[in-house]
Amino acid sequence: MLIRLRKIIWLLSATLLIHAHVHAQKTLRWGADPSGGAPYVYTDPGNPDQYIGYEKDMVDALANAMGRKAEFVPSDWETLVSALQRKSFDVIVNGLEPTGDRAQQIAFSNPYYIFQLQLTVRRDDNRIHSIDDCKDKVVGTLGNTAASRLLQQRNTPYRAYQDPVGAYRDLELKRIDAVVMDVPAEAFYARDNTKLKQAGPPFSRGAYVIGLRKGDDAFKAEVDTAIEKIITDGTLEQILKKWKLWNDAQVEFQASVKTKTQPAVALEVTNASFNWSEALLRLTKAALVTVLLALGSMVIAVVLGLPLALGQWNGPKWLRTLCTVYVEFFRGTPVLVQLLFLYFGLPVIGIAMPGWLTALVGLGLNYAAYESQVYRAALDAIPNGQWEASYSLGMSPLLAFRRIILPQAFRIALPPMTNDFVSLFKDTSVAFAISVWELATAYRELANASGQFLLLGLIVSIFYLAMSLPMAQVARWLEQRLRSRATERVEEVEVPA
Amino acid sequence: MIQVSNLRKQFGDTEILKGISFDVPDKSILGIIGASGSGKTTLLRCLNGFETINGGTITCGNIKLEAGISATDYKRRVRDLRLKVGTVFQHFYLFPHLSVVGNIIEAPVHVLRTAKKSAEKEAYELLESVGLEHTARRYPESLSGGEQQRVAIARALAMHPALLMLDEPTSALDPRRIGSLRGLLRGFVEKGQTMIIISHSIGFLGGVSDNLLYLEGGLVVEYGPTDQVLNSPKDPRVKDFIAQAE
Repeated sequence: MLIRLRKIIWLLSATLLIHAHVHAQKTLRWGADPSGGAPYVYTDPGNPDQYIGYEKDMVDALANAMGRKAEFVPSDWETLVSALQRKSFDVIVNGLEPTGDRAQQIAFSNPYYIFQLQLTVRRDDNRIHSIDDCKDKVVGTLGNTAASRLLQQRNTPYRAYQDPVGAYRDLELKRIDAVVMDVPAEAFYARDNTKLKQAGPPFSRGAYVIGLRKGDDAFKAEVDTAIEKIITDGTLEQILKKWKLWNDAQVEFQASVKTKTQPAVALEVTNASFNWSEALLRLTKAALVTVLLALGSMVIAVVLGLPLALGQWNGPKWLRTLCTVYVEFFRGTPVLVQLLFLYFGLPVIGIAMPGWLTALVGLGLNYAAYESQVYRAALDAIPNGQWEASYSLGMSPLLAFRRIILPQAFRIALPPMTNDFVSLFKDTSVAFAISVWELATAYRELANASGQFLLLGLIVSIFYLAMSLPMAQVARWLEQRLRSRATERVEEVEVPA
Repeated sequence: MIQVSNLRKQFGDTEILKGISFDVPDKSILGIIGASGSGKTTLLRCLNGFETINGGTITCGNIKLEAGISATDYKRRVRDLRLKVGTVFQHFYLFPHLSVVGNIIEAPVHVLRTAKKSAEKEAYELLESVGLEHTARRYPESLSGGEQQRVAIARALAMHPALLMLDEPTSALDPRRIGSLRGLLRGFVEKGQTMIIISHSIGFLGGVSDNLLYLEGGLVVEYGPTDQVLNSPKDPRVKDFIAQAE
């Protein structure tokens, strides 16, 4: 018994010791966005619980050189900087470009990779040969990247995507005219696509650096030393060759590191050109898109809701079932999923609508289900006597419906319809999932570009409120009017017999 | 004007009207009286086509409703019949979204295709005849029960029905108004209107009807000129009913 207990104690302390030893080894927690993140870091398709990528390999080599243990923290590209500041991880390693605006928030390591941009178009496109041909075309790229800033500076209309897959797919579907992407991503996602081709050679050289929190110079020195080490001893070269990312630019760059000289070619650094007046202008435009989207969807919903309501209310059994299935489907599944289905699913069967049309139709179809129920309730609320009175005056069912029932039902339905419009108005924000430039998208992009989450958030909220509060007021007023008309009785007027 | 012959109506296995016959002479009022459950509401709903009859015939001018004809044929004849038979419902069922004039001209304009101007002119004349010309632009909800009833009468008369039917017209009126309603209805009869009035108030029907029909258990128990039915009823049940009413 005693021996046994001793054994247990020995085992326990051994375990604790090993544990403590593991803890003693320092970690290198690094943040990056693995979704659509190939070849930087992404989920291994053959082994979905593991991440792979050239930056994953590079961080492992760096950690090794630093005597640390690499620990990957999956994150979101747009919020990497703020997550680093919140100490969610120690470094950003995600093809990060050193820009002036980022430099105000975080510190950078020395460069480890020289990237270029590549323009891609559809194979049958003969209009675009370089970025200069894109002045009046829509170009897709990732949001808040060197490429997006370049396009912005050149006043080229662009659409920001959250991953390269979406951008290239929309290019195939002719929703956009071209895509600009960092060469590593272009090589992985587009180069082997037979429907696409490169337009011109790579252009605009920039550097990838590691993002660090400000103020820890010792740690920065440690990282820089490690970068220099894996370049000098050829580890990085091996990794880049493995990932087919080794090219002349790297040869040139690594030679300059090894000889400790300046690179021959100056690196371009793009800065987010953020100014408040432009931001407000863009927000106002986005607000206009939001309003048009809400109005257009509501028209679809109001028009389509009526036949749905009638079918469910008084149709033959098959039609009633059909309408019920429609209503339950659209009310029972999230509108976000419906939009994604329309945007990404329908092109599979050859229907590729642009984003704004998808949002318009998607929200319209969704709200038609809700409006039909409002109508149905309103129609049910009309007493049967109204029908009988109409019939007894010789009216046909259609005439009775059009002239007597519908106007009354409409009056009952108006307040809940107005309320639905207010929520539809807010629901337009889901269109951001399919890159429609409405208020929520504008907020996300402008805030990410500027770091002004709080102030821009307030402004966007004010935009929403300025539009939804008056509508809500109208709804309340309509409701009140309806209620007072229902109960109000003007004094009885005495009429001499 | 309207002839009803051996009219039968059943709901499932229950026979509500068991063979009813009467006719209403032109420019006269037939009062149909009976306790609740006697079948008088069902009878009215057969006469304006809201119930399909199971036996017998209803003849109104050249329109004949009969059991056994195809459903579409029946429907068509009902529509023709409704152009000849106007109904004032117990609860009036005015159209709340239309003004008083709007209520009256709705069917003439959209069913008979009367020009709006002349329909309005006639509506004002009708309103004047029921003493409500000052309410023309008001909405039904602001009218008293009695006023709503008179608008409903004007609305039905605007279609120039050969026969006007009123269902329980006294139920919404206070006793002081019953007398004036009687005068109003007799006035229309003088001008040539034919009517059927359904009521359980023998006092009102006695004073307004030319003929009386006493309905009980789906059968005509007593039918004849009002004086005769009231003063020398053959059936003891009618005597009891009159005695109870008094």
